[in-house]
Amino acid sequence: MKKTARNIYLALILILMYAPIVTLMILSFNASKSRSKWGGFTLQWYSSLFRDDAIMSALYNTLVIAFLSAILATLIGTCASIGINSMKSRWRTVFMGVTNIPILNSDIVTGISLMLLFIACRFTLGFSTILMAHITFNIPYVILSVMPKLKQTNKSTYEAARDLGAGPFQAFMKVVFPDILPGVLSGFLMAFTMSLDDFIITHFTKGPGVDTLSTKIYSEVRKGIRPEMYALSTLLFLSVMVIMILVNSAPKEPDKKLSLELENEKKKLPLRQVIPAALVILVAGAGFLFHLGSKGSVSDEKLIVYNWGEYLDPEVIDIFEEETGITVTYEEYETNEIMYPKIMSKAIAYDVVCPSDYMIQRMRENDLLAKINWDNVPNIKNIDPTYMEQSRSFDPENEYSVPYCVGTVGILYNKTMVKEKVDSWDILWDEKYRDSILMQDSVRDAFAVALKRRGYSLNSVVVDELIQATDDLIAQKPLVQAYVVDQVRDKMIGNEAALGVIYSGEALYTQRENPNLEYVIPKEGTNVWIDSWVIPSNAQNKENAEKFINFLCRPDIALMNFEYITYATPNKAARDLIEDDSIRNSRVLFPEAEDLKGSETFQFLGDEADSYYNELWNKVKSK
Amino acid sequence: MNHTLVDLIDISKGFGDQIVLDKLNLSIRENEFLTLLGPSGCGKTTTLRILGGFETPDFGQVIFDGEDITNLPPNKRNLNTVFQKYALFSHMNIEENIAFGLKIAGKSNAYIKDKIKYALKLVNLEGFENRLPDSLSGGQQQRVAIARAIVNEPRLLLLDEPLGALDLKLRQDMQYELIRLKNELGITFIYVTHDQEEALTMSDTIVVMNQGYIQQMGSPEDIYNEPQNAFVADFIGESNIIEGTMLEDRLVKILGAKFPCVDEGFGRNRPVDVVIRPEDVDLVKPEEGTIQGVVSHLIFKGVHYEMEVQANGFEWLVHSTDMFPVGQKVGIHVDPFDIQIMHKPVSEDEEAIGVNE
Amino acid sequence: MNRKKLLTGPYFFWAVAFILIPLAMVLYYGLTDVDGHLTYENLLAIGTVENFKALCLSLLLSIVSTAICLLLAYPLAMILSGMKVNQTSFIVLIFILPMWMNFLLRTMAWQTLLEKNGVINQLLGFLHLPSIQLINTPYAIILGMVYNFLPFMVLPLYNVLSKIDKDVIFAARDLGATELYTFRKIIFPLSLPGVVSGVIMVFVPALTTFVISDLLGGSKILLIGNVIEQKFKQGSNWHVGSGLSLVLMVFILISMVVTTKYDKDGQGGMF
Repeated sequence: MKKTARNIYLALILILMYAPIVTLMILSFNASKSRSKWGGFTLQWYSSLFRDDAIMSALYNTLVIAFLSAILATLIGTCASIGINSMKSRWRTVFMGVTNIPILNSDIVTGISLMLLFIACRFTLGFSTILMAHITFNIPYVILSVMPKLKQTNKSTYEAARDLGAGPFQAFMKVVFPDILPGVLSGFLMAFTMSLDDFIITHFTKGPGVDTLSTKIYSEVRKGIRPEMYALSTLLFLSVMVIMILVNSAPKEPDKKLSLELENEKKKLPLRQVIPAALVILVAGAGFLFHLGSKGSVSDEKLIVYNWGEYLDPEVIDIFEEETGITVTYEEYETNEIMYPKIMSKAIAYDVVCPSDYMIQRMRENDLLAKINWDNVPNIKNIDPTYMEQSRSFDPENEYSVPYCVGTVGILYNKTMVKEKVDSWDILWDEKYRDSILMQDSVRDAFAVALKRRGYSLNSVVVDELIQATDDLIAQKPLVQAYVVDQVRDKMIGNEAALGVIYSGEALYTQRENPNLEYVIPKEGTNVWIDSWVIPSNAQNKENAEKFINFLCRPDIALMNFEYITYATPNKAARDLIEDDSIRNSRVLFPEAEDLKGSETFQFLGDEADSYYNELWNKVKSK
Repeated sequence: MNHTLVDLIDISKGFGDQIVLDKLNLSIRENEFLTLLGPSGCGKTTTLRILGGFETPDFGQVIFDGEDITNLPPNKRNLNTVFQKYALFSHMNIEENIAFGLKIAGKSNAYIKDKIKYALKLVNLEGFENRLPDSLSGGQQQRVAIARAIVNEPRLLLLDEPLGALDLKLRQDMQYELIRLKNELGITFIYVTHDQEEALTMSDTIVVMNQGYIQQMGSPEDIYNEPQNAFVADFIGESNIIEGTMLEDRLVKILGAKFPCVDEGFGRNRPVDVVIRPEDVDLVKPEEGTIQGVVSHLIFKGVHYEMEVQANGFEWLVHSTDMFPVGQKVGIHVDPFDIQIMHKPVSEDEEAIGVNE
Repeated sequence: MNRKKLLTGPYFFWAVAFILIPLAMVLYYGLTDVDGHLTYENLLAIGTVENFKALCLSLLLSIVSTAICLLLAYPLAMILSGMKVNQTSFIVLIFILPMWMNFLLRTMAWQTLLEKNGVINQLLGFLHLPSIQLINTPYAIILGMVYNFLPFMVLPLYNVLSKIDKDVIFAARDLGATELYTFRKIIFPLSLPGVVSGVIMVFVPALTTFVISDLLGGSKILLIGNVIEQKFKQGSNWHVGSGLSLVLMVFILISMVVTTKYDKDGQGGMF
């Protein structure tokens, strides 16, 4: 009876631990790209995974960083443990207290503080800074796993070895080290795992062109996680599991006397850990070889691109590199607000960046942008003049930016759940749709909806208007199912909600996955947004950047990108090349002037207004 | 004599495919100091744990004072255990450790206080009430463990190699202490050890065990002087165990020489094991001995000399107060009543089963 | 023997450079305003209604999930330590293994399970039971915290429990204690170092998380971690963000003091 209860309990806990993992594994076989829809069984993600250079190099980085940081942390940590162990108790307490800091401190504080340090020391953010950060948070895990083992070792064995003529180092290696080996190895494994799993600290300390799996996944969140990631995680997980099962089912020595059994266990333990450690080394080594094989020749001409995640067809870069001989380093970010501090700190000299309208204005006002030499960008003629005109709201003289993607913000609704006509923001305040509304989780987008509904400007700085908007948003909150950025897509496809505020670029994709979805631009007007290429003032390769921008304005290239990201292109020549009539003439993607009546583009409102917006938004969120 | 307190009937116990105890039968009388003696893995500790209630036998019964307690949990048994590594509660002070059982039994505070005082006095640890176990030496901790057990006034006290972790001098002191305690308290002790000297010093009865079987049971004198097989002879004290042939009643042939002895009933020309204790070997002039040899080693042991004598291809161990230098030719003589004849086991299994057969 | 202390050297420099100096920088940012003047305002920002509410909610949710972790993990650790396997590495691996799946992916997988039309509700529908609202509630956040941090509770508890000498438990039973009494008076007090370090290992990350509340709370529920994250990332206001981090560090400091008090020998470690 008792035994059954125990087994049931164990089973329940294991289900809790492994349910999400099984879910991810199942998703890796899902033919549909959306996580909330089952599109049939497929193995295609597993095959495309190995053809995806970006993922493979992220995998390589992840493994190498995990491996190196774990090794170095193990070295430093083990030495430190021995030293700390021989100290007086007061100093030991001090050291252990310091050791506890990175473990107990929240990751975000650790990450930011390290970033501040690296920037202050003028370190170039990159592979090495990630490595240093990982070593920093890995050392404590090693120390905490070695210390208890050190305490258990018998002091006199070391002295005995010295007495028998061994030097201090020899005595340590021959006598003490074997005793603490299990602790060292489990510290190493723990460090390896923690490094593998870290996102936040890596995010703040990484430089351009270096991605680990975590940061890759995070930058993909905006456009939806690519199923290849599920496939890769499944493979990683399964290989570790297989290793674990192999190690633990290794043939045991025949049991001798009962009293001897404990001794045997002790001896076997290191072996059990040596094997996984060896395999970890093997995996990292294989990744290293892979990387050696895939690295092409490196030319002197360089370009560092900083773009939204999943916002460029990777093939386009290949073509560019081939045509110009310029080596491109490609780096991604998730939001304007994450990009901005990195540009402002000037820790990395990006050559070309793709921010949104209001952020361009902010960067321009803070002298972070360089003027574009239009002689080098003749293809600018392909850009629809309307959008150049619209850009003037944030770039008055059209000096700094070249439009790349454009779109509107509107309401996506599910025809089976919403029977009435949807043409106004008002419907997002309709009690009928309680818990079926998805709002955007960003200050400006949320306030734009509330302000436009009242007929105010979405760039309003009038306190009364803003307070009114705040009250409206608070009143709306009980009706809102969730504030999300990226997940509107998946949730709408999965019939999780009836109405969602979404970017027009996503409409095409969601409709394809779920034909019941419809996109409208409310009659009160909305936000017309433009993401444009700009060149930061500290760019090292300005001419290459201009070459790149010009290249992207070529109709065939712009078309490739449009087909890849499905966001509307301001490139008129490219639009004319679209074969599918329904897409070329889609009013969702390419709205007519009358659809945009009353619509505006975001402007940067100044730091003070910005923080006032944030304050009000906080009020909404914490209600 | 006293009536039987504990009866172990046909106890069998195995772990996995290994049989630790096989149909063990044992009676323990009231007020007896009984020692289970044997090498590690012989089943002595398992026997003790079955008595304590920490293991349930696969077969058989445990009868305590006429009552079947085989399936009774440990907390319902009127006996207490002193553990090998003391098993003190490290988060409680000495007073709390000792009071643990009394509090559960619901004794009054005044009673508990008295008992603690009495028990600490008994084990010579007055004034240690508020110390923590970790601050005491091994011997002190052991005495606390004993005090913790005896304050509950158990009918039976189980001691699992309680002196194993102490040094020699302390061990000897504690041996006398235990004997004194037993006499003062008048409770039955079952004592587990692998140390034969300890067993011989303290016990009323010794049970020699090997591989799950009782080899011999008897008073220390019986066990020492008349081991019933080679295992017991070898395990208890030092001895010369020599293969021989029983020629007829009261005459045994060892190493080609004929020795008169007192044993009868082995038949004619039967192979036997012969045990001769080293102190029973008399060294005499070569011509006076039954066989002749040469002294090969000599060590002074204080009370006596320990010598090794090479004679007829066997190395005899000899304890004697007379000294013969290395290289000296000597004769060996053994009195008939000092020669112990034992059946030679046919197989190893039979050796293990020993007297249980 | 004193030469051994020199081995601490590399770590000493590392700790100063990468732990203490960065911490000092947070301290500097937290105590200054944009112009570099000394100010306490960043610290006092915790007092605004919104921030204080977020802090209280964070405390509530992290305390609840720590308690749940403890309640779930204790019996689990007892079962595991009672098992004859005696293979620490195996048990550690079972609970570390999930970490080889990315943290973000794991937490997102819970969305798929908890959603309105998610796996759990479809199962309920299949059994003709009413569906339940799980996602975007505080309960979902608690679930996410419990799920992600349970290993940090199980491992120290398992370690401490498996180190308790079985004879000590036998001794208590031998002296007349029932199983329950033995647990209350012996097992639990002896496992206290593990409990303390487990509680801290769960409580601190739960208190500071922002990813879990974002992904499973639908961003409707603002925790103090979210506030700090916003200050750093959206508002780009590092000063207030640092100030609030300093306030959080007070809780972490308290935790550290408690750990050193109860876990002097480091026996409540993870390994």
